Amino acid sequence: MSKGTKKYFKKKIIWFLITLVVAVLLNFFLPRLMRGPGTPMRFDPDIINAVNEKYGYSRGVGVTEQEGKTYIDADQWNVYYEQEGKALGKYKDRNDVSIIALVNKNISSEAMKTDEGLRAWCASYDAIEKDLGRDGGMLGELWHFIEHIFDGTFGKSTSTTRYPNTVASIISEGIVWTICLQIPAILLGWILGNVLGAVAAYKRKFWDKAVMPASLFISAIPAFGSAVILLVIFGVNLKWFPVNRAYDTGMIPAFTWKFISNVLWHYQLPFWSIVLIAIGGQAVGMRSMSIYELNADYVKYSRFLGIKDGKIVRYVFRNAMLPQVTGLAMSIGTSIGGALVAETIFSYPGLGMKMYTAISENDYNTVSGTALIITIMVLIAAFLLDIIYAFIDPRVKAAQFD
Amino acid sequence: MKKILAILLAAVMLLGAASAFAEAQDLPRNETVYFGGQQWGSVVGCNPLSSDNNNAMAIAANPRGSRTIMFETLYMYNMLDGKLYPLLADGDYTWNEDMTECTVKIKSAAAWSDYTPVTAKDVAATWNVSKAITNNTYTSYAAYIEDVVAVDDATVVIKCVKTADGKPANPLQVLQFLSGVYICQEAWLNAVCERNNNDPQAIMADKGEDVVYSGPYGSYFANDQLVAFVRNEDYWGQDASMWGKLPVPKYIGHGIYADNDAALLAFKAGDIDCNQQFIANVQNLWLEDKLPISTYMTEAPYGLCATMPTAWYNMETPALQVKEIRKAIAMAVDYDNIIANAMTNQSPSFADVPRSLMNPTDGEQAMYDHDAVKDLQWVGNDIEGAKALLDAAGIVDTDGDGWRELNGEKISLNACCPNGWTDWQAAMQIVSEAGKNIGLDIETYYPEWSVYQTVFTKASQTEYDIFMYSPPGAQPASPWARVRAFMSSDFLGADNNWNGNWGHWSNERADEIIAAIPLTSDPEELKALYTEATKLYLDEVPSFSLMYRPEQFHAVNESVWTGYPVAGDGNNIPPANLTDGYGIAALYYLRNVD
Repeated sequence: MSKGTKKYFKKKIIWFLITLVVAVLLNFFLPRLMRGPGTPMRFDPDIINAVNEKYGYSRGVGVTEQEGKTYIDADQWNVYYEQEGKALGKYKDRNDVSIIALVNKNISSEAMKTDEGLRAWCASYDAIEKDLGRDGGMLGELWHFIEHIFDGTFGKSTSTTRYPNTVASIISEGIVWTICLQIPAILLGWILGNVLGAVAAYKRKFWDKAVMPASLFISAIPAFGSAVILLVIFGVNLKWFPVNRAYDTGMIPAFTWKFISNVLWHYQLPFWSIVLIAIGGQAVGMRSMSIYELNADYVKYSRFLGIKDGKIVRYVFRNAMLPQVTGLAMSIGTSIGGALVAETIFSYPGLGMKMYTAISENDYNTVSGTALIITIMVLIAAFLLDIIYAFIDPRVKAAQFD
Repeated sequence: MKKILAILLAAVMLLGAASAFAEAQDLPRNETVYFGGQQWGSVVGCNPLSSDNNNAMAIAANPRGSRTIMFETLYMYNMLDGKLYPLLADGDYTWNEDMTECTVKIKSAAAWSDYTPVTAKDVAATWNVSKAITNNTYTSYAAYIEDVVAVDDATVVIKCVKTADGKPANPLQVLQFLSGVYICQEAWLNAVCERNNNDPQAIMADKGEDVVYSGPYGSYFANDQLVAFVRNEDYWGQDASMWGKLPVPKYIGHGIYADNDAALLAFKAGDIDCNQQFIANVQNLWLEDKLPISTYMTEAPYGLCATMPTAWYNMETPALQVKEIRKAIAMAVDYDNIIANAMTNQSPSFADVPRSLMNPTDGEQAMYDHDAVKDLQWVGNDIEGAKALLDAAGIVDTDGDGWRELNGEKISLNACCPNGWTDWQAAMQIVSEAGKNIGLDIETYYPEWSVYQTVFTKASQTEYDIFMYSPPGAQPASPWARVRAFMSSDFLGADNNWNGNWGHWSNERADEIIAAIPLTSDPEELKALYTEATKLYLDEVPSFSLMYRPEQFHAVNESVWTGYPVAGDGNNIPPANLTDGYGIAALYYLRNVD
């Protein structure tokens, strides 16, 4: 490997790492900005008893005067609670909405009348808080997040239906489906789009007049649009393909032709909805590149020399392809974004679906984890394309020697 | 193109490899009953000590009828007649003289999946371990149950917590224990505690993969698309002392769908047999779409309503402390409109089942004197009556702006329910219109559920004036549990209150009645107490129910199976999704469609 190529790789790797660090931080902080604190749960029985003893209340917290009974005003009581709690050195804001929901599942609110029940509630809250790494503030949580990226678990899900499962277990359910759906679809869309664009540029006439506007039109449809159109036409109306899921309910995954053929059958609609989008965008770019190349001097020169058409087309295709590789690297992020949308529309059990569910359940750990995995996948794909580019484009190679 | 084919092929191979070589076979359609609307997202574990399993078909403990396909309770609750039917227990439970001890016998045939017998020691161990780890089982009953003791292998005694004067704290809660708590095997409990070093959090986080169970089905398969159970061919219940045979379906399956719409699509396609989902205008599925779908009743309300979504008045709002305003709003609301829109008529009207503290089941309706409260029951949409009531109380429009004032201030209220709960939102909209019709300014307000739940359960709040939530439905302790939820000042001052009286109303006589009912066994005396409570409730209007609603929805697609419970079939099986409480008896009546 030449010195220049090494330098090129080194630069790319450094950029890759910087992007990765930024992505990790964004994935951590962005979802958490949405998270607001809930009502603090003032349940410590020791503090409650201290307040009651000092001010002479029974455990009637925060209710105003009614029917001849006097209860203390809630705000005033909260002030006393905080005061006594601090005096006892036990005051704590137990106000994390997701932890409260998890605690409430295991501690019945029937228990809220006894010291024992209240103590169990507080203990359970503190244990879950520690388990989720939320006992040390936002920085503590960031450290917890990073620590669990390295042990491969990505922390635990905070969803009431998922806890105490790890985020990694959720990702592992979905990642195979996402990879199998998206990589082939994006690549096929890219290849078909380029062939279509090149053919349109060379043949003109019908191809250029009918096919190009069509693909231009398709590329303008947002990802969810193409998915819904396919779903309605081929799934709901014609009933050719199943409208959701990766395989029939009641099937148990096995390495059998019966199962695989069922998967392939369910695969069609989400697959082609992604391919369609990819084709449109690529074809438009490839067509203009090819037209530009067709008018280049070397093509004219080749024609004068009497070189066969097929060979000229190959030259043109190869040269016009180069910017398209960069285009793929740049568009892979948006493509995956669109493909994730397709997953949610077809209830396809990939990462997009997992993320969608996690968002609706305010499960920030899972949102961060799945988003991070997707980001890493996109970064790796873009990085690999950059490397490949260095090998296939002689101009890049030449530039390295300067 | 060769490359693409290669990539595709590789993708398929990867898929096959990743899904491993599962030993389980596909579920044969005609041997599997598919459920819907219960399981969302994949299963976490199978540990009956924890509430964190997300394993809805196996672990759904609830006094109104625990799901007993895998784990079993001592008794099964039947909401049709309000009675408890023995499951692991042998015959009826018995109380001692002062109702402080409840004795339950264990069936001699009852056995675990490892063929060892179920004994009283297992029941005691279930309680003791629950206590040691303070899980939901223990915290639900700690205020009522002192101890659970095995006298001998076949006899278990449940000792009540006693009040200062030696009376039991609440015998009704013991009945909830009988139908609500899964009994676990002592040997398995010991193993779990030991391998987790007796650490409560670790015990609850245990996935329970080796769990020993007594029910007719065991775990078969679970991933993020499907959870399935297979029949235990050696199930003890085929003994003549229990069912006398095995349940009909060999497999129980539940597809995991992305959302309600996806599940409804699957139900229509026949991929779900028994569905627990609210389906608007469910009758259209058979009347218009001509699908082989049916419900428990062939005519409206189609299901058995057992609960009553209710609008609660916040007693911290000055205007709502005035009884006449509370009553006027409740009288003016057009309930028929709510029932037609929000429930698409899947609720009896308040003319059919006059309002009280009782749900529409026959058992509860018989528990109060209908004639005694007749004058207090309103059917709604009575604008003139409501206006007259307000006028008589001197709550009139003094400044001529069209809105009534209280002490010189315009009465402005909000009517709240969680955003996205469309049926409830429709109800609150109608309440708001009722207010406008009688000169009270009521605006709707729909916060997100995550916020809503923390506000209305607070010990004190001034954000919501009129807000919705449901009291308990049918369970062994109802209708007492519902009376308590409507009127008890037990919950005053409790934060994180999920039990009831969210408006924080309080009345001494109501508290006395609520304390007396659990200790009363004479039916006449009981009826008098319930009647008095109903009178008080209808007179004071601390809250008002907007509709009746099934505890669980129950619609079936008869493409593959038939023989589902139907109202009036004489089997006395409640429409409880073939699995809950006495509803599980339905699994023994199913047959394939020819």
